[in-house]
Order: sequence, then structure tokens, then C-alpha cells
Amino acid sequence: MIDYLVSVLTEGSIFAIMALGLNIIWGWSGDFDLAFYGYVALGAYMTLVLTIGPATSPTTYILGLSLPFPIAVAIAVISSMLLALIVGAIALRHLRGIYFSIVTLGAVYVLYTFAGQFVPLFNGYNGLSGLFDPMGDFFNLDFTSYPFFYLGLCVVVLCVVLFLVTRLSGSRFGLALRSLREDERAAAAFGRGIYVMKLKAYVIGAGIGGLGGALFAGYLSAFNPSAWSPVETIVLYAAILVGGRGSNRGVVLGVAVMVMGLQEATRYLPEIANQPSFAPAFRLILTGVILVLFIRFRPQGLLPERRLRDKDPAGTGGTAVAAGNAVAGATLDTGAA
Amino acid sequence: MHEALLTLGFGLVTAAILSLSALAFTLEYSVTNVANLSHGEILTVGAYCAYLVQQHGGGVILSGLAAAAGGGLLALAVHNGVVDRFVRRGIGGLPTFIATLGVSLVIQNILVIIFGAANLGYTVPQGAPRTVGPFLWTDTEIQIMVSAVVITALLYVIIQHTRFGKSLRAVSQNRSLARVSGINANRVAALTWLLAGLIGGYAGFILAESVGTFSPYSGFSFFLITLTAAVAGGLGKAVGTLVGGIIVGIALEFFGGYLSASYNLAFAFAILSLVILVRPRGLFVGGRRSIFE
Repeated sequence: MIDYLVSVLTEGSIFAIMALGLNIIWGWSGDFDLAFYGYVALGAYMTLVLTIGPATSPTTYILGLSLPFPIAVAIAVISSMLLALIVGAIALRHLRGIYFSIVTLGAVYVLYTFAGQFVPLFNGYNGLSGLFDPMGDFFNLDFTSYPFFYLGLCVVVLCVVLFLVTRLSGSRFGLALRSLREDERAAAAFGRGIYVMKLKAYVIGAGIGGLGGALFAGYLSAFNPSAWSPVETIVLYAAILVGGRGSNRGVVLGVAVMVMGLQEATRYLPEIANQPSFAPAFRLILTGVILVLFIRFRPQGLLPERRLRDKDPAGTGGTAVAAGNAVAGATLDTGAA
Repeated sequence: MHEALLTLGFGLVTAAILSLSALAFTLEYSVTNVANLSHGEILTVGAYCAYLVQQHGGGVILSGLAAAAGGGLLALAVHNGVVDRFVRRGIGGLPTFIATLGVSLVIQNILVIIFGAANLGYTVPQGAPRTVGPFLWTDTEIQIMVSAVVITALLYVIIQHTRFGKSLRAVSQNRSLARVSGINANRVAALTWLLAGLIGGYAGFILAESVGTFSPYSGFSFFLITLTAAVAGGLGKAVGTLVGGIIVGIALEFFGGYLSASYNLAFAFAILSLVILVRPRGLFVGGRRSIFE
């Protein structure tokens, strides 16, 4: 039982990290990026090829180094960011809305095809394996205590990421990104460099996604094209949407509900003969239904993004909501202060 | 030279399937302004409906009709159940697009639960290849191409020469204006989606016939190629889409025949990205947005 709980929590933390990355791209910057899981996958693949040592026949893959896990993770994150820089530089230049989504969908399918078909890259369809208990030897952990260590590691990373994105969220950059999302032309009129800002957000988000992928590789100890598909991104979108698009706490809540909660809810589904895929398929159906219902009935999610306050102490302005009612806004503000 | 002609022959088969699928997609887009990401599932459901009919001893014609009916009903259900409600409430194109992605996930996995995730195939034989001029086609492939041409011609007549077609064109150009002119835009949109579903379901059947096998995911992969054709032709434009389908279909066969079939999807997307980046409104655009340009 406790093992099960540990694995659910580990998986949940990893997915929360990925979702926080995607939230920067979609929640703040407003770009519906379908390539996101490609950056997660690249992070996972790179972590593996950097840690599992040289390829032995018949497997083939690039690099094949035996670097320490943290260094491999760092390089994996950087490679995800580089890929995002290339894709984003092309796709964000002129495209918005569905055209942006379609091009990113294309990009991820190209990556998926190459990962699956081009054997010298990541051993093709059979994928990579052999990353057992990263850093376990270093801390002298045996296989019973290791899962707790890895859970701790993932939770710590999640907290660090959460802290950083919260800082970023309230920074000038984070605020400016929201202004792009709401009205790109107005933001441009106030002197924002749209393209560069969106690209920055895209690359940062993809880097966090790559970090999630790297931790995922350490957790699974293997990665291959049947373990991921570009459609996986929808699960992350569902989590963000349910939690509250744009809100960091909301995203973590969303992952708790949509990833861990659904897993638990469908855990006791009856096993159907000859149908090993029944429970996962049922989970995806629920995910799809919830996604549609939330877009229709509660697009702001369970924990909506908070309206932003004017932090300038000299300003008399209240919140954005109170703009129409200056008196009420001011009173509320004093009360809060 | 001979080999090139053979490849062209296979390309024409792919082009026939692709054009039908892309036309259906464009019809959906033209009346609702929604890029329907669950379009691939219309094809998949068509393929499975035909499979069911063949399991009960139905022939090719009955299978084709069942595929069309299944696709049509699904498209109508997606329109009335999801898309129309979103459009009417003024929820924008992008959120609706995301919702159709959710719908696609739901349908795929319902099929996984009912039929399993493994590949299935039809029992009706393809027939021996025969030489037609310089080409080499099986009976099935000839059936695919002939039916595609007939359906396209029918569609042209419906859009250009019927009262419904006139309303369809009106709604696709300006939904609000069509409404104040006394056209029941919701009904026209629903019927258009039904029509698109009939074509899409049949396209799914001939796709499965031509490939030989199908799975709950095959429609979605083919949808990615459909998207290439539709965007290359210009979203929401029937003639452009038709030409786009033919060009992309033939290009894919040549790419697959001479380079590598495994990278077909990647190649399709290379075309798509290029088109979107260089000519985002399609290769053959004039000025106005209309289904017949």
C-alpha cells in the first residue's frame, strides 16, 4: 500500500512539474502548444543516453555517456530548451491560434517519427533502458528505501520549480506575458516586444517540461515511443484547465485531480478479460469528457488565476476588478493592507 | 519512367482518399469556422462500421454505405453535442478546437474499449492487380478512385446547384448575414456536418481498404495528412482543398516510394509547415473567403 502511495505521489510530482512548464506557455503566454510533450520526451531521452553508458549491440543510440544524474538532467533540460528555441523561433514568428497549434503538432510528430524510426538516434521503437535508481549508489540506498528518496527528490524539485514560477509569475515579465495573452496589439502598442517575449516564455516552459521528462526517465528507468505519444499533452492541458489556467496553485491542484485522482478513481475498475487497456482507455475517456465540460462550463478552472493588483504604493488604484468602482476598490485595498 | 508511372498510379489512389477526407474537413470548417480535431475519428468510425457489416456477411457496397452512415451520425453528434453549443455561446475558435481534441480522445478510447487497440483488417479480398494503361491497380483501388470522383462530382452539384448548397455557401461566407436573410444557419451547419460525416466515414472505409489494416488510432494519423492537404488548399475552400489533396497524395507516394515510407508523416508536416509559414492562407488564394473560389 505504502509503495503504491509513494509511486502515485512521485508520478504526481513529476506531472505537476511538466504542467507548470506548460502553464507558462499556454496559461500565461496564451499559445496552445501541441509540441510540448516532445520537449518532455527529449528530456527523458537525453537523460537516458547521457547516463546509461555506451550502446551494446544490437542497440544503438547517440552519445552513450555515463555522466552523473544531475549533470545529465541539466544537459537534458538545455537540449529541450534548444529544440524549443528552434521550433518556437519558426512557429511564433507569425503564427497564432490554430495555425500555431497545427505547426507545433507537426513538429512533435516529426520528432516522434524520428524517435521511433531512426534507430541510430534513440534505438528506434525499442527505446532506451538501463537507468536504475539514479544517485542510489551515491547515497548508499537499497531498493526498499530508494523509492522514498526519489519521491523526496521529485517533491523538492517540484517545490523549487513552484517557487521559481511563482516569482516569475509576479515579475514584470510574467505580468507582461499576461498582457500579450489578453490583447497582443495593445501590449505591442505599449512597447512590448511580442515575439521575443513569447519565445522566451516558450523556451522556459519547454525547459521545465524537459526537467519533468528527465525525472520521469529516472522514475521509469526506460523510455520508448510506446511510453509516450504526442497526445499525452492533452492530459496536461486537462490538468491545467481543471485546476485553473494561469494559476500555479491551480495547476498543481489540477494535476492532483486529473492525474492522481483519476488514477485512484479508476483503480478498482473490474479487470476485463482480453482487455488490458480497459482502465487506461477509460481514464482517457474521462479526461476528454472533463476537458470538454470544463471548457464549456468553467473555463477559469477550480482555482482561477487571481486578478492582478496594482502594487505601486503611490497609486490609489485598487484591483483590476475594482476599476469601475474606485471607492469600493480603495476601501477593499486598505482593508487588505 | 515505368516505375514513376506506377508510383503515380498509387499516388492517385492516395490522392482520391485524401481528397475526400480533406473535402469533408473543409466542409466542417467552412460553416462553423472550427478546425475539427476529431475529424480523424469520423474516418476511424467509418472503417469500424464497415468492419461490422462485413463481419455479418455484407459486401463492399453495404460496407461503404454503413461506413458513410456511421461517419455521418458521428459528425452530426459532434456538431450538435459539442461544436454547435460552443459556437452559439460565442466561445472562440481556439477553445472549441481544444474541445474537439477532447472529443477525439474520447472516441478513440471508446473504440479501444469496444474493439481493442490491435489492428484489424477486412476480409473482402483486394482482387488481383490489373494493368490499366500504364498503371497497375487492383479492383479495390479502381473502386476507390471511381467512387471518389463520383462523390466529388455529387458534392459539386449539391453545393452549386441546390437550395441547400446555396444556403451552405451563404453561411460559410457570413453566418450572421445568412441568418438575417432568413437562413436557419444552425440547421444548415448541422446538415453540412452530416454531409461531411458521410463523406468522411466513406473515406475511412476506403482508407482501411487501401492500407489493409486499421486501428482506433489510424484515423488520427491520417487526419494529420488531411490537415496538410486542407491547409495547403486553403482552409474552408473546396476547390483548393481538392487540388491540395491530389498534390499532397501524389507527393506522399513519391516520397514513400523513392525515399522512405516510414517518414511519410514527417514529410507531410514538412510540407504543411512550409505552406503555413510561406502562404498561411493556402497555395491558391484569391482575396475573399468562400467555399468556392
